[in-house]
Amino acid sequence: MKKVGKFALKALGGAAAAYAGLFAVFYFDLDGKLLFYVVEPFLDKHYSKMERRDPMSVPYMMVKEGEEYVK
Amino acid sequence: MKKPDLSKLKKIPYKRLAKDFIYGKPVERRRLGDLYQDKTGLYKHREWRGIKDTMYYFNNIWLYNYGMMVYDIMRYGGPIIFAKGVWRYRWVGQSYLPVMHWFDRGLEGTRGETMKASAWHYRAMVSSTIEQFMGMFKADLNTGGDKALHDRTVGHDETLWGGVYYPYDGQLKNIPLQMVPYFVTVHCNSHTVLNYIDAVQAIGLPGDPCPMCQAEAGLFVADDMPDYYKTIMTTNEACDGSVASSIIQDWMINKPLFAMPQPMLFDDDLVQKHCAEEIKGAWKFVEEYYGVKFDMEALKRNLREQNELQEFEWEKWDVAANTPYYPINGVAQALYRIYQSQYGNKPIWHEIDGKVKKILEKCVEQRIETMPLTRHRVIAWSCAPLYYSHWCTWAYNCWGLNTIINMDSLMFDMTISTDDDEQMLLDMARYHEWAPMRRNAVGGMHHIFELWDNMERFNCDMVVMYDQLACKGMQGVHGLFEDEFRARNIHAIWVPHALPDKRVISRSEIRQIINDYMTTVMQEEPIDPSLLEFDDSQSW
Amino acid sequence: MRDLKHLIYFEDLLQEANNELIRKAKDDGKNVLGYTCYFMPEVLLDLPGAVSCRLRAPKCTSPDMATYYMSGRTCHYGRSLFERALEGGYNFLDAQMATETCTVTCRFQEHLKRMPDVINNATFQTSFVDVPFKKNENSIEHYEAQLQTHVLDFLRDEYGIDTSDEALLKTIEEHNELCRIVQEIGDFRKLDNPTITGYEFAVITLVTMACPKYLILDKLKETLEELKTREPDDKKNFRIKVVVAGSENDDPDFIKLIESCGALVVADRYCYGAVEARTQIEIREGETPLRAIARHYLETSQCTRFMEQKDMRSRKKFIADLAKEYKADGIIVVSNKFCEYWSYERVVDTVVLPRDFGYPVCSIEKEYINTASGQLRTRFQAFVESVELKKIQEGK
Repeated sequence: MKKVGKFALKALGGAAAAYAGLFAVFYFDLDGKLLFYVVEPFLDKHYSKMERRDPMSVPYMMVKEGEEYVK
Repeated sequence: MKKPDLSKLKKIPYKRLAKDFIYGKPVERRRLGDLYQDKTGLYKHREWRGIKDTMYYFNNIWLYNYGMMVYDIMRYGGPIIFAKGVWRYRWVGQSYLPVMHWFDRGLEGTRGETMKASAWHYRAMVSSTIEQFMGMFKADLNTGGDKALHDRTVGHDETLWGGVYYPYDGQLKNIPLQMVPYFVTVHCNSHTVLNYIDAVQAIGLPGDPCPMCQAEAGLFVADDMPDYYKTIMTTNEACDGSVASSIIQDWMINKPLFAMPQPMLFDDDLVQKHCAEEIKGAWKFVEEYYGVKFDMEALKRNLREQNELQEFEWEKWDVAANTPYYPINGVAQALYRIYQSQYGNKPIWHEIDGKVKKILEKCVEQRIETMPLTRHRVIAWSCAPLYYSHWCTWAYNCWGLNTIINMDSLMFDMTISTDDDEQMLLDMARYHEWAPMRRNAVGGMHHIFELWDNMERFNCDMVVMYDQLACKGMQGVHGLFEDEFRARNIHAIWVPHALPDKRVISRSEIRQIINDYMTTVMQEEPIDPSLLEFDDSQSW
Repeated sequence: MRDLKHLIYFEDLLQEANNELIRKAKDDGKNVLGYTCYFMPEVLLDLPGAVSCRLRAPKCTSPDMATYYMSGRTCHYGRSLFERALEGGYNFLDAQMATETCTVTCRFQEHLKRMPDVINNATFQTSFVDVPFKKNENSIEHYEAQLQTHVLDFLRDEYGIDTSDEALLKTIEEHNELCRIVQEIGDFRKLDNPTITGYEFAVITLVTMACPKYLILDKLKETLEELKTREPDDKKNFRIKVVVAGSENDDPDFIKLIESCGALVVADRYCYGAVEARTQIEIREGETPLRAIARHYLETSQCTRFMEQKDMRSRKKFIADLAKEYKADGIIVVSNKFCEYWSYERVVDTVVLPRDFGYPVCSIEKEYINTASGQLRTRFQAFVESVELKKIQEGK
């Protein structure tokens, strides 16, 4: 019974600490700071060096009068 | 040992601090501008709104929405599909994560019911956005998506009303091409879209066409669009630029296309039949390409539900126009309305409207003055700067300019008949003709000048006149507005901007223009002087 | 080549909108009906008792008053027209027959409607037509209904114009005669060594749009006869031949500028050009004259506002086909600054015409009246040289 009580207390304590931690993240805008200084620059670099289709190479097939487009 | 100077401690206003802690600082001492980090727009710390409102914001907005974003990802396809999309597409990777900052910017300074109701509007938009982009990723052939889903999905211009697809509810998925990758993206992260504008200019497009259309075309040029659709449908909503950008989009997409134009002179009774026939043409196209069957019941059911949304919108407008109890701030009103009415009937809108209705009723019943800083009731006209749609939150906090309504909220101002099939089709045509930046911008100048009627209808005493520098339609009527403002002795602030492109007119310049007008013409003092000048040039 | 007998006379007619022949038509008791866009069928405005006048604003380099009304960020053409109207240059107009086909010209015409006093003429009115974005049956039907109500009924009720089928048939016949003459004149540009320059042809085409047709027809016939015996210069006075395609252009000096750089303009697919405007109207079996007109103006137009995929894509082929037909070596694609439609179309043309059709393209953006001719001249000269080099490399 004591064990259960201890565990419950610990869990409650853990949850309270997590809640307080989350509140600190919220209040000090740590989520914003992480995203702004770390995540976005990393992703930006990733997207910028990604290989992409050359737009000039996209075909431009003619559609005949009265006909639907067929690939 | 020196004795501690207790007199200093005695001077601390404990009572005031305790009061501030419990209730939040009163307006004259809030100094919201001091919360910003220089340039980035990040907060040194988020605003303390008093115990009740801060904890509501933390629990019911911040935590809740982060949680719901995860929940939505899980229910609309799961983390693997999401991760693939984030890794492949800039617009989602760069814009999805800072979503809570989008909330923060829009809800800054709000308290109580206004904070709650406005946040619910944001929640609805986020949920719908996730549904849309997860729908794209699931069917995206670029990232190994499901071909069967791809073949059941139609991509369409974001300005093509989603209601066109109501008869195929459950058989066919329609996802707007640009609504999330362009429109939502700009609001969440104004950096992202610049890549697309640059991409399309790099292949030779001049800088003077509307930057919205440039960015939309640029998404395809930059190869940053998922391949989730078998065919596309385009529209001429709202303007020349929309038609023209389809020229490049068609080339880049290179798939079967159905064009569904709406007539320009929509007052003319002669045009309705033509427009209705085009809607029928769209249905025929969909049925031929997707093998789906027209379901009249599904169409009527969705229209009836959509009418309910419209009726609640009217209720909201009524409260906004005639009382000080309206609990939705300017930016939430504008974005939710345009998003919801353009995309069409979805369960999330009903769910959120239900929550907002309760708040609205409470405010009216208890006569809660929701925007107590109001000095002027503002109507915002023409199209708004997407990178600074939250200017009205700033203007309210700094100057007491309360944006009651905006032009794009007033489009689609009708319900659709479901009793008579012929009338229903004509109403659908009319509904489509009354789209954003269309209802008041084409078909005769008298539509643009409906501003005066709406000023009266919403009891507004000031106009914020958006001056989209590349919008030929609005630029082409500039002088007449000046004449009319003078003749009617109306206080109007012209706010120049470049829709999604913050490089042309920065947020700071927009604020300066409003500051200058308020100090020199109106000769007023700011409510919060800390908001007059600050640098948020690198901000999302 | 020997100068064309009437060229100076034609050039003079283009110096102002209210030219000698418009004044003569007014004296003859005609109603002068202004219009700007191909989608306002000029043939309907030339019915007995009326004459059409496609509006221009020659020499308008600084539209200051119009810029107050329409800002400096709109198409110079639309602003110039309004400037000319504010200056009193269109007081001869009895009506403006308007279309909402591109934003800025529409705004110009809306200003005339909202500020009717700008045109100092008591009878002046403006009537608007809604023009469809597709060429399907639904669109033709819609366009026909619009033309019936907002053009024919309007002209009949407000100006007493005879709009009967007989009157329409007769006007179509006259219109077709003029088209045939202009086409025949234009066909001399297909010769290996053409006996007419692009500039001369541009002047002639514009005269047919800016002047009453019944007053210019004789001189056109004479010019056609003259061209039949006109000898080209022994030595070719051009280095390459080009097609000019693009947005609004009613400035023959722009064509002159291109030709002064060595590129002879042999075909003109732009607003105010002859390719579409001078195609004869065919009345098919069972069609009413109005139906034929509605179909003709939609089907022949290569305007970039058509949204159907086949129309968007076939426009590029149409230009390439023109180049082939007129034996052009290259294509100059031009868009007016602030023209939304052609800004996009020009991008695709610039890539697709060389890549898929093998025609070199010179892609430029210009103003309505080109004061910055030095920059354009450099561009055209460089283009001519590059095409010549290409021809040398190909051993032609």
